[in-house]
Amino acid sequence: MTGKSQPSSQNYLTAKGFCLTSAFWFVVATSMGLLGATELMAPDLTENIGWLVFGRIRPIHVNLVLFGFVTPGLLSAAFYYVPRLLRTELYSEKLGFITVLAWNVTLVFAVVSLASGYSQGREYAEMIWPVDILVVLAFSLVFVNLIMTVSRRKEPILYVSIWYACAAVVLTAVTFALGNVIWRPNSGSLVGIPDAILLWFYGHNVFGLLLTPLSAGVAYYVIPKACRAPLYSHTLSLFGFWSLLVVYTHIGTHHLLQVPVPTWLKVISIVDSVAMVIPVMAFLINIWYTAKGKLGEIHADIGAKFVFTGTIMYFFVSIQGSMMALPDVQRVTHFNNWVVAHAHVGVLGFAGMIALGGLYYILPRITGKPLYSRFLADFQYWLILIGVIGFTVVLTIVGLIQGNAWLNGEIVYRVLPEIHMYYIARASLGLIIFSSAILGLYNILRSIFFNPGEIS
Amino acid sequence: MYFPYFITYMALGFVISLVVFFWALKNGQFKEQQRARFLPLEDERKASVEKVSNIKRYEIYALMFLALAGLAASAAVLVFSLLNANI
Repeated sequence: MTGKSQPSSQNYLTAKGFCLTSAFWFVVATSMGLLGATELMAPDLTENIGWLVFGRIRPIHVNLVLFGFVTPGLLSAAFYYVPRLLRTELYSEKLGFITVLAWNVTLVFAVVSLASGYSQGREYAEMIWPVDILVVLAFSLVFVNLIMTVSRRKEPILYVSIWYACAAVVLTAVTFALGNVIWRPNSGSLVGIPDAILLWFYGHNVFGLLLTPLSAGVAYYVIPKACRAPLYSHTLSLFGFWSLLVVYTHIGTHHLLQVPVPTWLKVISIVDSVAMVIPVMAFLINIWYTAKGKLGEIHADIGAKFVFTGTIMYFFVSIQGSMMALPDVQRVTHFNNWVVAHAHVGVLGFAGMIALGGLYYILPRITGKPLYSRFLADFQYWLILIGVIGFTVVLTIVGLIQGNAWLNGEIVYRVLPEIHMYYIARASLGLIIFSSAILGLYNILRSIFFNPGEIS
Repeated sequence: MYFPYFITYMALGFVISLVVFFWALKNGQFKEQQRARFLPLEDERKASVEKVSNIKRYEIYALMFLALAGLAASAAVLVFSLLNANI
């Protein structure tokens, strides 16, 4: 099954733990998203039920998707491929298991505190100080395990996926601590414009320096494996990695172009947003050339199919992102549902798809048995694909209606009836994605615990 | 006055990045790039490739259609935004 230099025995406890974490919180996160979408359609639905009002449901949904579903899914794959690429064993499965436990305890605290109304009220940084500390602690545990594994490696060359996985964990621990202003426990914020700058430095980097590098790491591992072909260019992949670090870290202020932040900062954010085409195309050219002429192999492997689709979504979301940073475009597309569409393509269409692809790719390898149901996984793939593209179309239309109304000076209550039917479609699509999450959880549970397949 | 904190952070980030980069350079991480391309394959299973059925071929066409629909939606937004930018 494995090469001579591969570790001989591993139970992949950490990878399994993060896999189950991702599958479980995907269901909870999408249920919150569905409830939020339903409340936008029928605002009185949860009237007088404090812990279910939209203002509490929305941050729970966002934080759970980020830290409950996508990140653990990508980490699960990382805890599988990092030891294999380094020809060694994971530094400590026990530490990994403790990390999984700490991670889930953190998420429970996050949900309970946010639902109870304890929020710092900053977008993407709503969690209160004790939960912030737990998040930083959990990332630190992951980092210790990964870096110790790297230090014990038998393979001298660090494959690009290792670079991405380690960088994502370090950068996020630092960026999260800064963005959540953890040195001010009471407010978790600075004052005035500096706080907005710092918040969006974090808000965009939680995607660019956490989900993007972890997703790229998974794609760089899964696609060559599924195609049974070497990576098109390792040099190009390292160029993409370093250029991502240089370019992505400066673009958060493009969320504040209509705010009195310093002009030089706005210029940097716009220029670097457009320059994102460099790391994005370095990554995509590399992956797509590796898969050139091998789409049959991609389709034969459900994990690779998810991952490859995620790379196509990455193309869309990156082009969108660069364009949205242009002030003339942003006058129409900002502060409305167009941004929500963009976020869903990025987090679910790109990183979420690759996280699921990583899970489905490693599941047969960490359990030693075939996936419980390829049909269910395929069905989930199509449900998510239809859901994401549906979201994109519906929310894009709503965004244009809202953006145009804003430019024309129309008042909100005249616009709301115009977009109501689209909110119904949005909730329907949310139901599709919620259903897909349940199918995924069932398939993953059966694959790990109640799998009748033969051990390979 | 908040710039000193931001500049300190940026300078620290820059220095740490440089340290890691030069460690990689000195450590030979940018050598043997041809061998590095094959690293994921060194534990390759000797499994046969699953035959692609016609259903999967149709799936590719459907996927391409959906992908093009997404691209068309994005292009439409861009054109609409640019046309309305000078309102």
